Amino acid sequence: MSRMLKKYTVIYKSVLIENLQYMFNIAMGFISYFIMCFVFIKLWNYIYADPGDLIAGYTKEQMIWYVMITEMVWFGARSSTITRQVSSDIRGGNIAYLMNKPYHYTLYILAKYTGEWSIQLPMYALLATVMGVTMIGSLPGFRPVTLLASVPCVILGVTVNAVFKLCISLLSFWIEDSAPFQWIYDKLILVMGTLFPIEIFPGALQFLFKLTPIYTVCYGPAKLIVDFSAEKCAEILLTQLLYLCAGLLLMFFIYGKGVRKLYVNGG
Amino acid sequence: MLTAVKNQIRVCVFSVKYNIMREMLNKVTFLTNILFMMLNNGAFIIQWLILFRLKEEIGGYSIHQVMLLWGLSASSYGLSHILFARVFSLPEMIVNGKLDCYLVLPKNVLLSVMTSATSTSAIGDFLYGFLVICIFCFRIDRLLLFSLFTITGALIITSFSLLMGSLSFWFVRAEKFSMHMTNVMVSFATYPDGIFKGGTRFLLYLVIPVGLAIYHPVHIMTSFDVGMFFTVIGYTGLLTAAAITVFYLGLRRYSSGNLMESGRM
Repeated sequence: MSRMLKKYTVIYKSVLIENLQYMFNIAMGFISYFIMCFVFIKLWNYIYADPGDLIAGYTKEQMIWYVMITEMVWFGARSSTITRQVSSDIRGGNIAYLMNKPYHYTLYILAKYTGEWSIQLPMYALLATVMGVTMIGSLPGFRPVTLLASVPCVILGVTVNAVFKLCISLLSFWIEDSAPFQWIYDKLILVMGTLFPIEIFPGALQFLFKLTPIYTVCYGPAKLIVDFSAEKCAEILLTQLLYLCAGLLLMFFIYGKGVRKLYVNGG
Repeated sequence: MLTAVKNQIRVCVFSVKYNIMREMLNKVTFLTNILFMMLNNGAFIIQWLILFRLKEEIGGYSIHQVMLLWGLSASSYGLSHILFARVFSLPEMIVNGKLDCYLVLPKNVLLSVMTSATSTSAIGDFLYGFLVICIFCFRIDRLLLFSLFTITGALIITSFSLLMGSLSFWFVRAEKFSMHMTNVMVSFATYPDGIFKGGTRFLLYLVIPVGLAIYHPVHIMTSFDVGMFFTVIGYTGLLTAAAITVFYLGLRRYSSGNLMESGRM
């Protein structure tokens, strides 16, 4: 087990060091993040006619901070490794070489992806903090100590999201292009969990969303940072672990099925 | 002269036609890309339904006007990526020296580069725009104006991207910058201009041309104004001319990548 972990840690470290060379390129992505947050600050400033208003239990500051945090996770954890690279490996036949290497292909991709966001996400977190504090002021009621519980939730949320996206990419074993399915998954996460907290939706839908990855990927971590409670934290962590186990099982299942299909077709 | 222009247009039409035919080789993938892109865009209707539950108007726009804004943004972006998709990857081509094969073609270099690729999913964007206007705010005169502004919008988006992409002739790391600037334009294009004030409005109308590509046309379709109409047409011509000039100025600085590749990459 420790030998196996060591193998993936080496992959993780090498990608991490490689990505340190591209910090300037990562920083160029700040432009899009800044503009997206700027648009949402303007939008919520317009909708909250009175700064003291509450919408779905959120003050204006909390609502803007919520969007900034979810967008931070969205931008900080995006990478083509779990989407385009997997699809092109499968479509181009490169998978035939990679599956013979002394690692499991899907875990190799996850280790590589983790190495990428380990640089990106903290950079975006720093930018989000600076932007938030200067443009909307500090988050009301925020205690830095709660980050000790919120940060693991963010990390688990990013990993759960990666596992599900990887499952979708693995569909390339059967269909030529899995990108359209990624768009739909991304839009569900974006519209129903990133742009608004789920409390803003009607009650019946809120219950439904709690059963989907939306709850674990973006809503949960952002909610904990904006409005921390120990019970909520325990609930979100438990849901994330359940989703991670289910996602990993699904990922190994799809990969196993896909690889057999590859064998039948002769690669 | 007229024959040369006619020939060039024919070449461009054939180029786009064969790009689409190549994409259609796998019909299931082709159709999935188009349909899912329409669904993908449709997901944002939920966002606006939620926002309009909170407030009756946003930035002076009703839900129908927001749909008009979304429709025009989608169809302009779509048309631009159907006809001139290669413009959006121009910086990589310049940096990697991949323009060589176009320089030896006996036709216009810029048009040959621009029409050498088509994005299948953009067909979904293009159709989505027209579907939205037919469902939410259909009127014959509005549909005609919408079609015209889809063309001007596509030309403005393409020209802006060409301008930003041409920066790579002078600056080594401009490719990321130009990509993000094009994304910035799309980000602003799907939100009402009424929520932006002061300096931002100046930026949206004069620096990032989203004001004249999308906002002005939406205002014209809501209540027609001759002055605004000709401003949009004139601006489209000016920006297109500026983008072409900058591209050819930059092309003088281009150095070959010594790549032996065909024009269809």
